[in-house]
Amino acid sequence: MSLSPHTELSQDEVRKCQSMQVEEWEVLESIYPECCISREHDQGNIKLEIPVELGDELTVSIMDDGSLPALPSLPTSLKSGLPSEVIERPHQIQEHLTTLPPLLLHLILSPGYPIYAPPKIVSFQTNYNWLPLMNLLQEMLLDMWSPGEGTLYTWAEFIRSGDFLQPLGLKDNDQLRIPHPAPHLLRRVLKSYDENMKLSQFSQSSFTCSICFTVLKGSRCLQLACSHVFCRTCLEDFWGLCIKEGDVGRVGCPDPECVKEHSEASEEDVRKVVSEDQLKRWKWLRQKQTLERDPSIIHCPMEFCQTPVPKPAESDGDSGWARLRTCPSCSYSFCAFCKRTWHGPLTDCPISFAETFLIEYMELPVDSPKRVNIERRFGKTNLRRMVAKYEEEQMNKKWLEDSTMACPGCRVYVEKSLGCNHMTCSKCGQHFCYRCGAKLFAGDPYKHFSTPGLSCYSKLFDFQSADDNEWQPVEGFEFV
Amino acid sequence: MDARLRRVNKEISDCKNDKTSNITIDLIGDSPFHLKGSFPGPSGTPYEGGHFEVDIAIPESYPFQPVKMKFITKVYHPNVSSASGAICLDILKDAWSPVLTLKSTLISLQSLLCSPEPNDPQDAEVAKHYTTSKKSFEDTARYWTQVYAGAGKGKGSAAGGAVGATEAPKNEVAIAGLEEVHVGKFEKLGFERGKVIDVLRRLNYRGSNVTNIHDDRIVQELLK
Repeated sequence: MSLSPHTELSQDEVRKCQSMQVEEWEVLESIYPECCISREHDQGNIKLEIPVELGDELTVSIMDDGSLPALPSLPTSLKSGLPSEVIERPHQIQEHLTTLPPLLLHLILSPGYPIYAPPKIVSFQTNYNWLPLMNLLQEMLLDMWSPGEGTLYTWAEFIRSGDFLQPLGLKDNDQLRIPHPAPHLLRRVLKSYDENMKLSQFSQSSFTCSICFTVLKGSRCLQLACSHVFCRTCLEDFWGLCIKEGDVGRVGCPDPECVKEHSEASEEDVRKVVSEDQLKRWKWLRQKQTLERDPSIIHCPMEFCQTPVPKPAESDGDSGWARLRTCPSCSYSFCAFCKRTWHGPLTDCPISFAETFLIEYMELPVDSPKRVNIERRFGKTNLRRMVAKYEEEQMNKKWLEDSTMACPGCRVYVEKSLGCNHMTCSKCGQHFCYRCGAKLFAGDPYKHFSTPGLSCYSKLFDFQSADDNEWQPVEGFEFV
Repeated sequence: MDARLRRVNKEISDCKNDKTSNITIDLIGDSPFHLKGSFPGPSGTPYEGGHFEVDIAIPESYPFQPVKMKFITKVYHPNVSSASGAICLDILKDAWSPVLTLKSTLISLQSLLCSPEPNDPQDAEVAKHYTTSKKSFEDTARYWTQVYAGAGKGKGSAAGGAVGATEAPKNEVAIAGLEEVHVGKFEKLGFERGKVIDVLRRLNYRGSNVTNIHDDRIVQELLK
């Protein structure tokens, strides 16, 4: 573009241009405040930093432009210290991006702009020279000016929207190609810029948390891997509760669709939300859950330990040695049957003796000579302690028998608080009947309750726990 | 846990302001955590015209644990216990999400009335009735809606769905989803009417079962 040399401008003309420049800057500043870096009145010096927003995520291929010489063949000893990407120099790397780093534009608006002269481009560049063909783009920009019209807004929009990429031949269909001397380096720069932009956009936007219904800035929210956004406080309360109750399967996105898919949160997300202790427990519970899927697991009987102890791989099922377990955490060796200190492969478990002995002892009248004799031999305190322990165990057992039902699949005890008698074990997935403990056929579990003649026929709902009774609705149901 | 109170209050007021959904949530006593929800029976179903009330108990850790809901109004539906009103709907159990609200849950109950799931029944007898003869099931459900949910009556009595039961004499045979002819047939043999109804209901003496179940079988049951 060539311009006829100007004759001197009149004062009036200069003033007119001046006011147009001020107005244009004000408009630009109100539309793109983040792009307008500085303006010096007297010299017409303007600096713009215009980031490129691609709208939707775009596949960007960063290609080696071949301008760097190939690496000389290095001795292997030297190569081993270098990252593989330096040695191999991949030809093309793909990345998915939504923003690209800004184009830095330094302009001088001459006194005749915008009526008589175009803006003068002092420098036009990008950090890390990520954009090739800057000269071509500069020519395009200058071509866009027509006398009498401010062109800054058009330029900013042309760059910001990424519209310039197509005419430069860098973009076709939904693919962007950027040649660069060092693709692996540029990729890191572009990716971290894109991530930072996304993060700052997120933390400045407002979101309505659909759990507490409050509107919050993104900085107080978290976007999960599935892209749903919740406030950190609600996630902390929710996950904290699940971790406390040992319900690790529910530590995931609270959105109904994600709940249905049982999608669990990633460790990275959990770490961002819960405390260090909770994270530790969450990890421990997850590990426990995996181990418990193995039916041969026995927990270490040491009260302070409780580590799951798997069956040794090489154990021989028939010999007495199969009963031996050694805790990997506290090294306690015990019998898998009676859970007492290892008593060798040949000795029977001592527990049955202790139990029959105690029952006998307790049945004796308090002052009977036989009882006193036993007390003398074993010590009254010892016996009292054993009896107390035995009674507690019996009570636990009785409670388990009366108020719970063991899953026929994995023997975990289940207490029903409300609902019907068809249970699905949350641990092993077995369907069973809460009334009689029978395994139910998963394909048609209700047959058990609907086949006349069976003991649980029409008893899908008969069992009412104390809790359930209290919670009867106040009115209605006078007809049954 | 004032977050729970804040959320429940907001839910109640949101529901009051929403005039389009026809769902109401009211306090039963002083506690904001024991509520009564209600909604009209969906049109085009046997529940049309009925007014259904639901007992709502909000647990300590709501909304992270599911709300407890139970029909106050008696409903004849495969997924609702005809005796206790207990509902076994997935979102009230393991599919619960803290994002769900009292209103959205009540709407789910309303749509449960539109689309029974007889393959996942909560009342096995009702579900059998449904699969044996849909028409007969619908007649019974409609009758229950009239008797218990106040359908086809003046607006004044609609609110007292359960109370309506005391007003008109109920037809026990219709409530059990049976036919008078069948009940009469065995009653004439000398069995007590209540017992006949009970046995025929249990054996699902409806639709094609009327020809499939032999009279001997019924008498055998009646003699037990």
